[in-house]
Amino acid sequence: MILRPSREDVKLIGWGTGRVILGVGLIMTIPLITATLSAEWNTVLDFLVGILACAAFWLLTEIYCRTEKDLTWFHGLIVASGGWLMAMLFGAIPSFLSGHYQSFLDACFDLMSGYTTTGLYLLQDLDHVSHGLNMWRHLLTYAGGQGIIVIALTFLFSGTAGAFKIYASEGKEEKLLPNVIATARAIWMISLTYLVVGSLFIWIFLLAEGMPAARGGLHSVWLFMGAWSTGGFAPQSLNLLYYHSLWIELATMVIFIIGSFNFALHYAVWTGNRREIYRNIEIRSFAATAILGTFMLSVGFGKMGLFTSLTEFFRKGFYNLISGHTTTGNATVYSASFLREFGPIAMFAVILCMAIGASACSTGGGFKGLRMGVIFRYFRSEIRRLASPESAVVREKVHHIRDVWIDDPLVKGTMFIVICYVIIYVLGTSLGILYGYDPSVALFDAVSAGSNTGLSAGLTGPLMPALMKVYYIFAMWAGRLEFVSIIALLSFGGAIVRGQGARRKRR
Amino acid sequence: MRRERASGVIAAVSAVALTILLLSSGTVYAAEVVTTQELIDDMARYDGQEVTITGEVVGDLMRRGDFGWITVNDDPYSIKSIEEGGSHKGVSNVGIGIWAPLSELDDIQILGSYKNKGDIVRVTGTFNRVCHEHGGDTDIHASSVMVLQQGYAISHPFDYRLLVVVLILAGIVVTLWNIRIRRVRRTLRKE
Repeated sequence: MILRPSREDVKLIGWGTGRVILGVGLIMTIPLITATLSAEWNTVLDFLVGILACAAFWLLTEIYCRTEKDLTWFHGLIVASGGWLMAMLFGAIPSFLSGHYQSFLDACFDLMSGYTTTGLYLLQDLDHVSHGLNMWRHLLTYAGGQGIIVIALTFLFSGTAGAFKIYASEGKEEKLLPNVIATARAIWMISLTYLVVGSLFIWIFLLAEGMPAARGGLHSVWLFMGAWSTGGFAPQSLNLLYYHSLWIELATMVIFIIGSFNFALHYAVWTGNRREIYRNIEIRSFAATAILGTFMLSVGFGKMGLFTSLTEFFRKGFYNLISGHTTTGNATVYSASFLREFGPIAMFAVILCMAIGASACSTGGGFKGLRMGVIFRYFRSEIRRLASPESAVVREKVHHIRDVWIDDPLVKGTMFIVICYVIIYVLGTSLGILYGYDPSVALFDAVSAGSNTGLSAGLTGPLMPALMKVYYIFAMWAGRLEFVSIIALLSFGGAIVRGQGARRKRR
Repeated sequence: MRRERASGVIAAVSAVALTILLLSSGTVYAAEVVTTQELIDDMARYDGQEVTITGEVVGDLMRRGDFGWITVNDDPYSIKSIEEGGSHKGVSNVGIGIWAPLSELDDIQILGSYKNKGDIVRVTGTFNRVCHEHGGDTDIHASSVMVLQQGYAISHPFDYRLLVVVLILAGIVVTLWNIRIRRVRRTLRKE
């Protein structure tokens, strides 16, 4: 029997969501400051409206939803999934007010794309947007990459036991430190340190490539945020093609590869455990699939015969392949080029790498290297078991910070998530084909949205059907939160509608 | 009669002179006039050909030695950007990187951005589907960049209606804050 949520449950979820929205309002102060310094007064007003709306919502939840109870797993799941949706709605306010969106739905699309570090966008006339709005777009991906919940945990939650429950509900299962609040802060420390160092390097390269110092400074921070978070946003519509620079491409590639690694791996390396880089299953899995993808790319480019030198292979092929593999979405070619200049084999290599994606507990999306490693080892153990005498005991393990033995529950859990990803890829592709798009383009963009990559073969745009926009928002959201929280939110909605009242049950 | 004949001669001479002028500056006038979208949609057809595009210079002028990169957009927003009150056209920006000698870029004064409408230029040059000189970039190597129209500062009139919304929301937030403080004090007193 499904139990209808009690008043206390709703209050708890409302209270947690209010904290998350307050976090969104606090993040908006950075674009507000940027707009003020740039004397963009209408943009200042846009962000003031956004901040005040977030503050009003938070205060309402503080007044009407305050409770002494602590969060359970269920509440954590609902706060994480519902919090992302609410964060999308509130975050879309300043974006929509900028006037660069055809509808509020389009603004919501870009917000979800930013939070989930996808990088697809429906914003129109990007080359004329304000510094404030550009800061907001990139900050979204940077904040979303660490996890909105991580932000809320860092600043707005005290050390409750329930804090871990909403932390884990955001698709992150690993605690770097015994206390989850300390873990969230450690994630921020890692990211902020890289932000300073990475932006500085990009700024130096931009100056060398002829950009003015002030604009170069802003571009360097935005490019870093887009790459590190594996979001793939860039301040100009030509994305990385705008800079015509091998050095900028090299710098962003290094940043998005590092950004796509697991936070637990970062922490292990930071605390002196350097061997972890070579032993970790996710690094090995990433290396193996990247090599496979590069091989396919070479075959594809060889057949097309367009990109003839090693430099061209690296800058146009390998860069976009790894950008897809890390689910970043920074591109050095036009969208249409994936279909026309890459050819079917190289395009398929990019799709495959996007579908596999990056590391678990990172800023990336897709199946994740950890799951690919588990599935590969499981298949290997099954083959070994079949080839061994009946009495033989065959066991496999994967190394991810520590050794983990592969057993049936682990494989089942892994397969469940992977199948969920396949389903959202297939549904998105089918929808695209039904709307009359080229099947390969429909597949490319559906995988890109579901795996939170952001590369596009030309389907995603302001004129795409509204239903596809809604589906892509769902795919980005579900893909980022890895389904479990979404299922919990849907069951919560179902319980409100169909569940038996708790009082009636007691009777 | 004589006047008619004279004007006929002048017309014939003018036509010949114009033809000679067009032929002598063949690199400029023999180029096919295209849009960037047409180039992107059919790169194979235009690869290696002389083309002419007209659009707004946006972003930055990046100097590299004696040459420089600019980006030219020829989408609907290059005519009237959203910041100038242009309507949504349902498309993103469409532009292309132009590689040109700095001497050709000297006349460019204003680059398109939030605050500025960029110079409108006519660019003639060779379109490269995969530029072997620039690591495979899709670009145009310009032989001529002509400023057709000077850019200007975009005016952003202060949005007083939005200011009213801000003030109303601020009032709501202050009220809610006071209610919250009162409730917290009441709870503390009870405890």
